[in-house]
Amino acid sequence: MSGMNNGLNPDDPTVVAAFRAALLHQGVIAMLIFAVLSVAWVSVRAQPDGARTGSPNGPSHPLARIRAGLWAYGEPAGRQVLRIGFGLLWLADAVLLAQPGMAAGLPSQIIAPSAVTSPAWVQHVAVWAGDAWSYHPVEVGSAALWIEAGIGLWLLAAPRGTSSRLAGLASLTWGLVVWVFGESFGQIFAPGLSWLSGAPGAGLLYAVAGALLVLPDRAWRTPRLGRAVLGGLGVFLIGMAVLQAWPGRGFWQGTSAGQPGTLAGLVQSLAGTPQPQALSSLLSGFGSVVRAHGFAVNLIVVAALAAIGLAFLAARRRVTGPAVAAFAVLCLLAWVLTEDLGFLGGLRADPGSMIPMALLAAGGYLALTRVPAVETEPAPAAVAPAPAPEEPAGGPGQRWRERLGPAAVRRSLTAATFGTMASLGAVGVILLGAVPMAAAQATPAASVILAQSMNGAPNAMDAPAPGFTLTDQHGRPVSLSGMRGKVVLLTFLDPVCVTDCPLIAQEFREAGRLLGADSRRVELVAVNLNPIYSQPDYIQAFDHAEGLDTVPNWYFLTSDQARLRQVWRAYGVASQVLQAGAMLGHSDVAFVVDQRGHLVQELNFDPGPGTPVTKSSFAAQLADAATQTLRSP
Amino acid sequence: MTRARAVKTRVAAGLALVVLTAGCGSSTERPPATPPPRPAPLSLATSLTSAGTVWATIPMGAPSGPNQFWQLFALTSPGGRWSLRTPGGVATNGALVLAGPGKQTLTAGIRPSLDLGFSPVTTTRDGGGSWSSLPPDPGFANVPDALAAASDGRLIALGSHQAVQAAGSQRAGWTTLITAKALAQTPAGRRCALAGLTAVAYTPAGSPLLAGTCGRPGTVGIFAQQGGTWRLAGPALPAALGGQPVRVIRLSRAGGRDVALLQAGTGASASLLAAWTGDGLTWSPSPAFPLSGARVVSASFGADGAAAVVLSGGRGVTVDGPGAAWRRLPPLPPGQAVVLALPDRGATDLLAAAGSMLTAWRLTGPPARWTKTQNVKVPIQYGSSSGS
Repeated sequence: MSGMNNGLNPDDPTVVAAFRAALLHQGVIAMLIFAVLSVAWVSVRAQPDGARTGSPNGPSHPLARIRAGLWAYGEPAGRQVLRIGFGLLWLADAVLLAQPGMAAGLPSQIIAPSAVTSPAWVQHVAVWAGDAWSYHPVEVGSAALWIEAGIGLWLLAAPRGTSSRLAGLASLTWGLVVWVFGESFGQIFAPGLSWLSGAPGAGLLYAVAGALLVLPDRAWRTPRLGRAVLGGLGVFLIGMAVLQAWPGRGFWQGTSAGQPGTLAGLVQSLAGTPQPQALSSLLSGFGSVVRAHGFAVNLIVVAALAAIGLAFLAARRRVTGPAVAAFAVLCLLAWVLTEDLGFLGGLRADPGSMIPMALLAAGGYLALTRVPAVETEPAPAAVAPAPAPEEPAGGPGQRWRERLGPAAVRRSLTAATFGTMASLGAVGVILLGAVPMAAAQATPAASVILAQSMNGAPNAMDAPAPGFTLTDQHGRPVSLSGMRGKVVLLTFLDPVCVTDCPLIAQEFREAGRLLGADSRRVELVAVNLNPIYSQPDYIQAFDHAEGLDTVPNWYFLTSDQARLRQVWRAYGVASQVLQAGAMLGHSDVAFVVDQRGHLVQELNFDPGPGTPVTKSSFAAQLADAATQTLRSP
Repeated sequence: MTRARAVKTRVAAGLALVVLTAGCGSSTERPPATPPPRPAPLSLATSLTSAGTVWATIPMGAPSGPNQFWQLFALTSPGGRWSLRTPGGVATNGALVLAGPGKQTLTAGIRPSLDLGFSPVTTTRDGGGSWSSLPPDPGFANVPDALAAASDGRLIALGSHQAVQAAGSQRAGWTTLITAKALAQTPAGRRCALAGLTAVAYTPAGSPLLAGTCGRPGTVGIFAQQGGTWRLAGPALPAALGGQPVRVIRLSRAGGRDVALLQAGTGASASLLAAWTGDGLTWSPSPAFPLSGARVVSASFGADGAAAVVLSGGRGVTVDGPGAAWRRLPPLPPGQAVVLALPDRGATDLLAAAGSMLTAWRLTGPPARWTKTQNVKVPIQYGSSSGS
């Protein structure tokens, strides 16, 4: 899909190493967050009784406090299933995001395939998302991991109250982000929509679960919510049954004109992906069954979806109980046979939609039971019946200072449960991902790691730059020595080149823009590499085509063949006229010349696929090199 | 609302949603209304004969994309061997347009392609042995007659944005002569109801000729400049073709005159005509050749005004000049691309490209048949225009 190629191999060693380093670094910070919070909590609570304001009735053993904080409160069973289930799922997703190929591969391996059959507007959204990821693959890749890990931990740690509902809100929000940008709306706008292939998308199910967890406690104490959840699922499953049975979509045929039918094709493609042999054999076997008995298999699927959907709509425990059990079995079968466990068969960021859907059904079923209202919610493990502070004399400012002061913090820590502290840590983990991601997105240029991964790091040099005097695009003589006092970014271009040179020129132009005010102290210089097309009108045509004719510090220099060859030799640049209509063969290289006229860096400047992302990365690399040189003593 | 009713409502709403979704997502949806078919573009593969040298350009390598490279071949003596003369230093992925004003002299323009946004122009005076660059054009149109040269070295070009550019013999650069839009607003353009330009040429006397497609049936869109005014100067068609739409598919110098190839009518009733002129004003048309549903793929010209046309279905026809009738050729040898060439009066060559191999055939007989005369292995640099 156009626009989704960031030019990187998912297993690119440079990006993989940087991703690992970032995860390690941020992992240490995450552990520090928890360590600091734990030490603070334990130390405050370890103070003599007189110094703290804990409840005399609270459990005294730390483990008992932890248990009391997480489970002592009578959380409705349906809510508990969703909270813990989706908490664990978010953590599993975070583990999947830690795969080495994720940073470079997610746009091309996950986002693009999900959008390829969707309408153009969905593809635009996917391309935007892929670009946003590709511009900063390491930062965004690690951020996504920590955000999902944080949400998972938060859900697990916060069983009740505002914190728990906020965790649900985080799940709702991030689930929608994943569904829209990562899963292309769960492919619901693509022609092959089917429950078996994962409709409506795992992200939407995470979001629905998050929305349910946002609901106030009282909503979970009557069967109405359970009926609504099962009713919604029932309507969805009946709809999926109708889609599955819809003529002309290829699900009824095991084979069609010698080709596998829709379902057989799906299974066959899954079986062909790298995975354990046992699973591959199982999928191949199932694929054979579908090819041979496509009609019967689809009939079973349609009937099962319709029957379970109708049973869910009935919302009576004696009917829905067996239906939920049957649905769990059906989900399990589909998870193995048509989703390949969600995470096998290539790079995957979640375990698929079947487990979340089964969890939703289980949560809805459990919510059918009326839960008696808790008279008074058990207070946090150590309730802090601190006396209401008196209005300080200093007015509101003084009041805020007191609220944020050490005494207030100590009081809060003393009153906090283990769950509260763990939630706080989880929020810290989310911020650990979200803040660098926001900072990266605020940067206009792509990360230089893309350029480095393609061409390696710049070579440091320290030698006088060979001098030259050539003619610029306006016919004026220009010498390198005349640029002394400025940093010179120097390259060699063919004005009639059809691939690399226009890209390099665009990268130079963009580097000038990125330099901002510093560009006044930087000259962008190219020397003509083509011995045949060396007249100034070719230089001008090239500049005009690449939008460089209005860049004040751009010099595209040319001369007669002999003088050009001298410069090429001095800089070790090759230029070869090839036969049979081929472009000039030449090196793609850039040099950084410092203010003293010394070569300080050589950059291999092969521009790769020339996507917006790679061009931005190369431009950033150039701009960085110029800035470093300007700042160096 | 009772519970049973609520359940029914939910089911109905769900089904409606699903039916709607299936309708949107189904592959059996009705195709959108298609615009009327446009005529297939003529291939830029062609040959021209200029003062004893035959030049032919043909695409080789991949069938399309960055690994397709247009090549230039030259035949310097009738009965001799074709040799590769593609100009160096520039990628020819975008095709070559040729103008051959004199002996051993050829000017070639390279159409924009990939990331090259303008058209380099190059010329040779020694039969393609060496090339020197001329000022670049903003971008040649995708037609075989986008470039023409006068005997005194002046050039005229049709740009991709339907602007006609001219370059003086001093080669200082290109200036806009007229645009299709401006030409359409002249009295001649209005008479023709000019829809677009398709070719440029010079008369033997050095006056520019422009060709295009008229919206008015029966009108041939050839314009000559006289005293600073553009005149509609195309040939009159036979009465039988008077009401037919006419398209000028080629207009080129061929020896001491210009030759135009016209297609009158559309579909199965379309006919092919050639017309010759010495001054751009008076024309001698050929008889009409019924195309019988075939499509004109490419066309070439000989030094004496002869024309050779490759038709779809592996067929070919030639016409020797004014007063001559169309002559069918034996079925053409196959090739990824095929171009006819007319090295000498009565002689017909055919170049067939397949990947890196060019095969030359010559029409021999009687009975007329194609005889293979030469294989040329072209050192195509696959991947050289594909980036890294």
